[in-house]
Amino acid sequence: MEKVLEVKNLEVALNGKEILKDINLDIFEREIVAIVGPNGGGKTTLLKTCLGFIKPKKGYVRLLGKNPKEAVRIGKVGYLPQKPVLPTKTYLSALDVVLFGFIHSKLSKKEKIKKALDILKIVGMEKHAYRHYSDLSGGQQQRVSIGRVIAQEPKIIFLDEPSTGIDVVAQESFYDFLKKIRDEKGISIVMVTHDVGTVAEFVDKVIGLNKYMHYLGDIKGFFQKDILEKLYGTEVKLLVHSPECVSCEHFHMDFKR
Amino acid sequence: MIDLLEISFIKNAIVGGLLLAVLLSVLSLFIVVKNWSFINVGISHAAFGGLAIGFYLGLNPTITGLIFSIVVGFLIGYISKHGKLHEDVSIGILFSFSMAFGVLIISLVPNYSSDLFTFLFGNILTITNTDVYMLTAFTFFTLLFLYLFFQKIMFCCFDEDVAYSAGVNTSFYYYTLITLIAIATVLSVKLVGVILASAMMILPAAFASQFFWHYKKIILFSVVFSCIIVLTGIYISYIYDLPAGAFIVFLYSFVFGGVLLFKSLIKRH
Ligand SMILES: Nc1ncnc2c1ncn2[C@@H]1O[C@H](COP(=O)(O)OP(=O)(O)OP(=O)(O)O)[C@@H](O)[C@H]1O
Ligand SMILES: [Mg+2]
Repeated sequence: MEKVLEVKNLEVALNGKEILKDINLDIFEREIVAIVGPNGGGKTTLLKTCLGFIKPKKGYVRLLGKNPKEAVRIGKVGYLPQKPVLPTKTYLSALDVVLFGFIHSKLSKKEKIKKALDILKIVGMEKHAYRHYSDLSGGQQQRVSIGRVIAQEPKIIFLDEPSTGIDVVAQESFYDFLKKIRDEKGISIVMVTHDVGTVAEFVDKVIGLNKYMHYLGDIKGFFQKDILEKLYGTEVKLLVHSPECVSCEHFHMDFKR
Repeated sequence: MIDLLEISFIKNAIVGGLLLAVLLSVLSLFIVVKNWSFINVGISHAAFGGLAIGFYLGLNPTITGLIFSIVVGFLIGYISKHGKLHEDVSIGILFSFSMAFGVLIISLVPNYSSDLFTFLFGNILTITNTDVYMLTAFTFFTLLFLYLFFQKIMFCCFDEDVAYSAGVNTSFYYYTLITLIAIATVLSVKLVGVILASAMMILPAAFASQFFWHYKKIILFSVVFSCIIVLTGIYISYIYDLPAGAFIVFLYSFVFGGVLLFKSLIKRH
């Protein structure tokens, strides 16, 4: 299997503060990988370093066999940021945003539009194709942005908390959908998420990140007391030990598995 | 003889005015999307400093103005991209500096005060043939560039990080756009003065966005709106012997203000 992402001895500091240390990681074609960890654990920083936004202090990242800044150039890397900084008014329709995904495509304009409309249908936004992107709700914008990423026909996609704003009912089908495009197109998916429970059955690998990579492996091995403790500190001990805790329902489900 | 001269002035004023109307309205879309009105103000003040240096050193003011504005444009772009300062702050500092610098330099030039006035308010009726040629060439080049790379530039304006990750050379488009805005600003400042230049570059798209949200409609509407205002302005100011630049600015703000007022009245009822 082809290696799409390689991270070696990575160390990242921002403003002199050490954010990531000793990160070693290989991601292969067709893999779905979840990055989990506490707030401020460095998940977004890791994605940004993989994409070439941040220069490592030590170590290196190889994305699609190249250095990240070169790798993104061909347009085969998809990225969905956690908190996009958008103009208050974009003056673009939802369709325009999906069309951005075809920026390197050689298709005719007509074909691009047709494909973009198909994609909007897939993400359940076909009714909103000709609405102002800035007038859409947060979750709707998220769906359109995922459409934009798919339009790129990427080899690898980085999703930073993609399910934020997407309603609970849609979430399961969202992960099903990610799995489907992985199966069909053979892309790799790296996704930062907080709902480990929900993604459990969809992911091939989990990365537990809190400055150091405390865990790298399959989901079963992840739900172990000592790993969760290392990753989240003592708070998790509470979660794991209290059966009446509602919010960690998923934790329990998967823990028992 | 005088009539003929006047006709040629008017012709240049009309052609130059229309070219500026088209050029600046199209650029105004990006200024509105990026909320860059401050960049425009900053660059036009830098242009002022640059032109003053040219006058003082006896160099071609347009060229010194261009150099100065592009440098300031790049600085603003660089600071806002890499620094922690917000764009508005960095521009504020730079433009106060270059304006003050320009005024200081100008105070060293004897008999400059009349030019200073022209500089603020401009005189659209003194546009020369050379000005028109330069403006035509630059407008053509800018529109061609925007036409060829429109989607990529809009993508950068939409979300620079995402555009970069999707393989768009965002730095190139970012700095080219700033350079084009800087050049357009210097040319328009020289021809119509700081105040009209700013009005023509900020108001059209801001006005159009009161009625439309899609960029295509905004561009189309701003261009038409600007051309009508410029033509009406030149015509009326010629007939009643009013200062054309100031009158055009008056028309812009009058129409814009009127529409805003009308809209808020309708909303209340
Ligand atoms: N530009 C910056 N300068 C200095 N420190 C930063 C910068 N950006 C992030 N940090 C710090 O780096 C650490 C990791 O941030 P990061 O955004 O990667 O966390 P995260 O795991 O994505 O958190 P969350 O779950 O809240 O999204 C935090 O302590 C944050 O304060
Ligand atoms: Mg984050």
